[in-house]
Amino acid sequence: MLNIQSRQEGTSSVVSIHGKVNFEVTAQLREVIRETVATAQPRLLVINLEGVSFIDSSGLGLLVAARNSVDKSGGRLHLCCLPAPVKKTFDQTNLSNYFSIFSTEQDALRGA
Amino acid sequence: MAKGLVLVVDDEAPIRDILSFYLKRAGYQVLTSATGVEALEEMGRSRPDLIISDLRMPEMSGDEFCRQVKGDTATQDIYFIILSAMEGTASRISGLALGADDLIPKPFHAQEVLAKVTSAFRLIAMQNEIKRQNRELTSFQQRVQAEMGLAAAFQKGLLPKLPGIANGLRYTHRYLPAAGIGGDIYAVVPLPEGSTALMIADVSGHGVPAALISAMVKTSFENQVRLGGGPLAWAQGMNEDLCRATLAEQFATAWLGRLDPGTNRLHHVAAGHCAPLRLAGGTQGGLRRSEVLRGRGSMLGIDPQFTYTLQEAEFLPGDRLVLYTDGLVEVEREDRTMLEEAGLRRICAELPAETEAAAEAVLTQTLAFNHPAPFEDDVTLVVLDRLA
Repeated sequence: MLNIQSRQEGTSSVVSIHGKVNFEVTAQLREVIRETVATAQPRLLVINLEGVSFIDSSGLGLLVAARNSVDKSGGRLHLCCLPAPVKKTFDQTNLSNYFSIFSTEQDALRGA
Repeated sequence: MAKGLVLVVDDEAPIRDILSFYLKRAGYQVLTSATGVEALEEMGRSRPDLIISDLRMPEMSGDEFCRQVKGDTATQDIYFIILSAMEGTASRISGLALGADDLIPKPFHAQEVLAKVTSAFRLIAMQNEIKRQNRELTSFQQRVQAEMGLAAAFQKGLLPKLPGIANGLRYTHRYLPAAGIGGDIYAVVPLPEGSTALMIADVSGHGVPAALISAMVKTSFENQVRLGGGPLAWAQGMNEDLCRATLAEQFATAWLGRLDPGTNRLHHVAAGHCAPLRLAGGTQGGLRRSEVLRGRGSMLGIDPQFTYTLQEAEFLPGDRLVLYTDGLVEVEREDRTMLEEAGLRRICAELPAETEAAAEAVLTQTLAFNHPAPFEDDVTLVVLDRLA
């Protein structure tokens, strides 16, 4: 099961994901991200992956699409708190450089 | 235009006449019969939408008439109203138990009958609409199924023909799309100078959209190979092709390789795909330690600026290569663990010498590990042996 929470931090939005991100749940996650971007129009969207046990290629594709859509609206997307297996997936797909990745949520919000 | 056809069945002529008069005045077409037998004959000629029938009649009782109408698949959907002089809840229930749709006690008000008939025709119209929609859905579903069958056959045709023999290689595959049709594809292309181009790819998502893109991935790969160059140029060219042709979130993971028997080298590029396993001397069977042909590169079709890295490995006569898509090793079991690369390496540590038997052993042992969880994603497994 996927648990997604979304909250506001000033002009930023934070989406926290818990569970396994695969093809079955991408529709649910896509909707939360779309909704968050549409309603809050955040200058910075932080996606906290701390609770993610596994992410497959459809999950990665969703994050890439999220980054592209945030880029287009003039915002930024930061990822944070990648657990080791998720980090490994990002490394193997060379997406570690494609995203701005931070080790803590505070850092991601500060953009440091 | 008549609102519908009503058949009135009663042995008493005055009742037939009254009902007929009111129904006709309300715009219905009316047929009348004095007995159940007569009514069944009438129904042989024209099919009423609704029947109003008395219960007590000579020759054939209303019960029996109702049973026959409701017992015949050709007439069971006709709305059946029983007219009954019998008092009490019990007789009303028994009337409905016969399969009648409604019951009007005698004596009746013509207006009451009309009101019931009007509401019955509303129901009939709704039922007809539902039936029409059902028919449409069923025929649509049949058409889609037939098309999916054709598409699946077409997709199978895109895979290399088995048994696979090319340039001193013997290979086989196990191809299990999750939805009859899927986003996995692989190709083995012998090149004129004796080397062989290899590709395995997994398009994001499932079903028809993924299958369409998988066909494009194969075409793009073959075009790139025809242009010459090696896996690095192929990956870059395919990435550009896919970026042009796909929407957001549509992309493919892929692994590309070129095997040069002259130098015993396998040049390869990873594009977000699970790393293949090389089993040195694997075609001899027995215990083998697998080498993971790891690479580092992003999926194809996301960003045309992505760059890829060429890797190199040894691939000698007698070596075996195991290519696969992530659906093989990413099934979550009841204990929430997955086979993953490490588990596949354990399975590949001891495989039969023969290519076909080796592929079967990998699949069987993977299924046994996952049991009772089935594959959820498209699964492709390719075992490719370099003959000694």
